[in-house]
Amino acid sequence: MSDRLLSRKRAQRNAVAALFLSHREAAASCALVSGFALAALIALPVAGQSPAVAAKAAGGAAKTGNWVASKTPDGQPDLQGIWNNGTVTPMERPAELAGKEFFTEKEALAWEKQVLARTNRDQRAPGTVQDVARAYNDIWWDSGTRVVRTLRTSMVIDPPDGRIPPLTLQAQEAQRARAELRQHPAETPRDRMLAERCLQFPTSGPPMTPYVYNNNFRIVQTKDYVAINIELLHDVRMIPLDGRAHLPSNIRLWFGDSIGHWEANTLVVDTTNFTNKTSFRGSDQNLHVIERFTRIDPETIVYRFTIDDPTAFTKPWTAELTMVKSPGPIYEYDCHEGNYGMMNLLKGARAEEKAAAEGNQK
Amino acid sequence: MRSPLGGWPISFAAAAVCAIFVLSARAQSPVYKAPRTADGKPNLNGIWQAVNTANWDLQGHTAQASHILSLGAQGAEPGGVGVVEGGEIPYLREAFAQKQKNYANRFQDDPEIKCYQPGVPRATYLPFPFQIVQSKGVILISYEFANATRTIYMENAPDSPTDYWMGHSVGHWEGDTLVVSVTNLDDRTWFDRAGDYHSDALHVTERYTPISPDAMNYEATIEDPKVFSRPWKISLPLYKHLEKNARLMEFRCVEFVEDLIYGPYYKHPVVAN
Repeated sequence: MSDRLLSRKRAQRNAVAALFLSHREAAASCALVSGFALAALIALPVAGQSPAVAAKAAGGAAKTGNWVASKTPDGQPDLQGIWNNGTVTPMERPAELAGKEFFTEKEALAWEKQVLARTNRDQRAPGTVQDVARAYNDIWWDSGTRVVRTLRTSMVIDPPDGRIPPLTLQAQEAQRARAELRQHPAETPRDRMLAERCLQFPTSGPPMTPYVYNNNFRIVQTKDYVAINIELLHDVRMIPLDGRAHLPSNIRLWFGDSIGHWEANTLVVDTTNFTNKTSFRGSDQNLHVIERFTRIDPETIVYRFTIDDPTAFTKPWTAELTMVKSPGPIYEYDCHEGNYGMMNLLKGARAEEKAAAEGNQK
Repeated sequence: MRSPLGGWPISFAAAAVCAIFVLSARAQSPVYKAPRTADGKPNLNGIWQAVNTANWDLQGHTAQASHILSLGAQGAEPGGVGVVEGGEIPYLREAFAQKQKNYANRFQDDPEIKCYQPGVPRATYLPFPFQIVQSKGVILISYEFANATRTIYMENAPDSPTDYWMGHSVGHWEGDTLVVSVTNLDDRTWFDRAGDYHSDALHVTERYTPISPDAMNYEATIEDPKVFSRPWKISLPLYKHLEKNARLMEFRCVEFVEDLIYGPYYKHPVVAN
């Protein structure tokens, strides 16, 4: 029996899952059109679709409603498939939602509607700065249309006010220095963001958080490894489960060094050994991330991460979001091979300097 | 009854003859049966690497001095007997002229220099390891070089709407052999540093066959009627990394080639000599 049929059988027992599936199948039947159009279709909100009432305390939840955690042939909890973590839930709780930890389903729908209306990139008066600055039309963006399935009002769950703890003075200074590099025309690519250089997206992780598009991840499991294929920049996080220790501290990696283990139905991944090249919301090379992946139903993984970086944050903090099953496929997200943007950006910077020099001579 | 073998009983002699037959048969065509995954498929999981000079030149070649004077012996090219079955790549005449042009400009034009994704089959025999992660529905291959990645669809393969640097891979099992058909390959990759190349009509059929617990044979049949007069084949062993702490490291080489690619447009230009 195919996974899809199995899913359907389970869905018949689970009204919430059935709602998701009918949406997915509708999207899948249109897969003849280009992947991009497919992505756009998935992004369309479905009228009357309400967020799943997922387990609010996801840690270790093995069973939700009628669903029993499925296993891989190796007997491990099955996280395999393609997942999308796009959402309209903000990382930090907005002031207007202070003191409110969860939406009701009705409030969630209203919030989704409000955010989508506010961020729609097709609202632009021709010829205005806004028109130019928002160069891509709305169809190019795919950052999610739904709140996280746990109905939280922010990804940050600790501190309980839903706000990231303040940066240390040292981290504030580093952040200011990074921002300053972008205040003048780029002398080299090193003055620009890592994503523009096709080196790393700040959301690829760990921790893995939503970007403005291509929020797709494929998980493949063996007895000894969990592999996470990140669509952006075709990266694979290879997480060994064999109980090995972290790399020696002199070996530093863009993705850090991840080691994993299972705690009941939760995959726990511990990552250290970062470089000083990447920064997650102000973090530095001392970043220590602990991620927890718990599948709570056929369509949902609750993804929780704790950030501990004593030189960057004044105290550790924890956030949680959901990864939702996607029909895929994962595309090869090429960047460097066609990075005309970087070439043109540097040429433009040199042209600006030349014009400025000629202006000074007049 | 007396057998022709002196005092040996016939049954014993027959057994000895049988044993000799069995042993000689095994010596002629060793049939290795690979260990299985939990779902019963040959288990190819692991970190693998080719150990040869195919990335320098698929065809046989002698060692050559470095083209960068200061690198001396470190930059010299090692020799190799080649991995092309029959020895020669069957180029069409005009295509061979292009290959020669590529060879002449190989230290500028080889896409490996710019850290572009290497394509298939070159990703397999670059001097970098790759890791196979095998599940029922897909087999993921993660290559250390340029963090290139392939998904081999073992079931429910989607159509490929476009070409990819690493192609579109659909696989199936033939006994213990993983057979992968690779299409939709971008025409900007090369096969090696010697300028061997292909067009967008390239179709690669790969065969991964376990031959011992720590080795498998890799074959790739190359079809490209725009460039070659007939299909041709490369064949080489792949070896498993057995180090206790074996792992893919990062070789995110984009950072290493920024000065080379963009240097002329820096405020203080950098130009490769």
